[in-house]
Amino acid sequence: MTAIALRPPEVVMRLQRLGAAHPTRLSFLRQLIRRATREKWRVRKHLFDLDDNGFGRAVYAVETPARTYSLIAFSTPLDDEKRSDRVIAQAWDTSYVLYDGLPDAADIARLEANAPLQEAGRYTRSELVLARANKSVRLFEEVASALAQGHQPDEEQLLGVGYLLRTTAVYGNGKFGIADRDEIAARPELAGSFQAEMLTVWLIRSFTLNLVDHIARRRNPAGAARLAPDLRRTLGVGNATGLGMAPFLVRHPLLTHSWFLARETALARVRAEAQAGEAERGAFSNALADLRRRVARWHSDDSRQAAATRLLAGDLDMLAGNLDQLLAKPRPWDALYRFAEDHFSLEGQEACVSLILEPHGALIDELGDTMKADETPGHVIDGGMNCGSLRQALLDCYSWAADIDFADPSANARFWYVSAEKLEPRLGERFEEDGAELEQPLATARDALGLAAALAQEPPSARVADFLLRRPEWRHAVRRAQIVAKFPYAEIHDNLIGAELRPVDILRAKLAFFGARSFDPRSDRWLRIALFSGEPLIEDVATMAGEAA
Amino acid sequence: MIDLSLNEVETLSAKAARGAGFSWGLAEDIGRASRRIAVEDDNWSQAMLSLAEQAQSFEPPSPSRAARWRNGEADVATGRPLCPIRTAALLLDEPLPANAMPLTILDVGLPIWLDAMLRRSQMRLAGPVGPATSVDVVVERRAEIEQPATSRRGAIEERTLATLNSFAARTYVPESERSRLRGAGGGRVDDE
Repeated sequence: MTAIALRPPEVVMRLQRLGAAHPTRLSFLRQLIRRATREKWRVRKHLFDLDDNGFGRAVYAVETPARTYSLIAFSTPLDDEKRSDRVIAQAWDTSYVLYDGLPDAADIARLEANAPLQEAGRYTRSELVLARANKSVRLFEEVASALAQGHQPDEEQLLGVGYLLRTTAVYGNGKFGIADRDEIAARPELAGSFQAEMLTVWLIRSFTLNLVDHIARRRNPAGAARLAPDLRRTLGVGNATGLGMAPFLVRHPLLTHSWFLARETALARVRAEAQAGEAERGAFSNALADLRRRVARWHSDDSRQAAATRLLAGDLDMLAGNLDQLLAKPRPWDALYRFAEDHFSLEGQEACVSLILEPHGALIDELGDTMKADETPGHVIDGGMNCGSLRQALLDCYSWAADIDFADPSANARFWYVSAEKLEPRLGERFEEDGAELEQPLATARDALGLAAALAQEPPSARVADFLLRRPEWRHAVRRAQIVAKFPYAEIHDNLIGAELRPVDILRAKLAFFGARSFDPRSDRWLRIALFSGEPLIEDVATMAGEAA
Repeated sequence: MIDLSLNEVETLSAKAARGAGFSWGLAEDIGRASRRIAVEDDNWSQAMLSLAEQAQSFEPPSPSRAARWRNGEADVATGRPLCPIRTAALLLDEPLPANAMPLTILDVGLPIWLDAMLRRSQMRLAGPVGPATSVDVVVERRAEIEQPATSRRGAIEERTLATLNSFAARTYVPESERSRLRGAGGGRVDDE
């Protein structure tokens, strides 16, 4: 079997393609579902103390083979005018903690005084994740009142939105005093990327469904209906994600490399398969049909996304029409991918990557274990390298940036900064706003080219350590250049401070790795998504046959 | 006292270091080293505060001084304490040849930082350094790199935290009305 080359970073790491990313079976929530199903995790309501309006507290305990984790949920009254997706909000309908173990009454009381305050509260190493979510008010109320009247809500309306509550932040890794990632990184069930965060969201999903059932039953104890199982399974949890998450991929280059390398390795493996077996064809057809149904319901008011979704629908129609012929060819999955490359939009091509991987769990799922990285090795600077070699490495790794003229104001139009009010990353207009002198080191292409120019002033045989002794301002760029030379998927191949930058492209790539769907950009810098829609409920995995897809 | 996670220790220290005038790359090194100090020493916050406050009083190793170290020649002090961060960065970036060790370096400012930075390498300071303001140190080679412990937290007094936050705040930008409107999120209430 001849190997298929991985798609190179020049293709994979462009913003336009990142902005067309689709979730795959390697996405983090899928990895979590597979493990939970395999290990038959059990969930029970340890506490469900809500009043007639659904306000109060609940605890869901999850038993994994080695440990118990608990979602502690608080539901509180919220004035409509305070309900906002923005990170500057100060109150929410619901707040959550993923607790390490089973909380006692004192823990619950302590967290009830803090979790509803979110960032303004303070937490301990017993808390692994902190989150909050707001109701999709109109939909939530319509579902509650339909159920209270004894019937199921309108399916199309329900699926059009796709969730009852939407998270606006899910914090992990030591934020506001919660446990450091180091403390859980050695636990198999939470070792993978964002597994604690995904577990939290999966549990929140069950809480939102139980919450709406509870309110309906309290309104009409004798006659209320329970939300039907097929609707429960279809609903996910919404999420609104903004700029705060955008620098993550830049700041975690080794981790980013590990995610993309795993996905691209998986794609190359499947493309190298000589034939498509009956089971794989069947699984592919199911995945294609599922995606076409989802695309038909995929709504966004964003004109670019709406146009991209229309193109995607057309691409998938064409794929369905050519499927038998493509899969009859030698190396059928490669033929299918190359067909997509030749005929489809970027959105269609990346959807095909996801579809092609779907039937091939046995071949690729183990790559999920490689999608994590400690950034420590990237921290070491090889100062014994000479300046000439480092400059050449920069010119090679950043050849894509060579044509960017940073003297042109449009190439240098923006600057990333941290806002004094919210301590969150923001994007400023360099030539219109103050503060560019406090720019964060996220101008990757500009700094790489600047470093190459500075190195050109040095004797080629001079050592990098000596250069940095005189020019410490280049230290971050030297570190990055040496990382990118070793880890090719570590860098986004586009200008992150140009006038054309759409931060939602970065956000989408990261969220697709989480397993997000239904991307709905609300501007060039924030978007809404759905997580876990169509996936099993966590309370069902203990009794499901075999492994989840 | 406030109990910080190690990630908070690292993030706060890196920001405060940048606010105190270190380059971005050195600030990253300082964040990591601060985490290391917090794991092993309850006085990490005092060490960080001293570093931020004294950052401007140190001087980096001169190229000629660095050459003396590498050639195994005796060190010569200059009258101003050496910056422990710049010194450690130099030693880490290009470790000294074996025949240049052990190396005596004169008048190192806040040697706890040199010690903490070197811990990720095979170099160590001979003997404990404590919270000294400046001291002569001996850098020696060890066979093994110690792995930092986990399961520790970084306790900090409220007043120290406030001061470090004020250093960190030098890296923040007040939001303009325009950026507030464009925002990171929508600026509209739920509409579904």
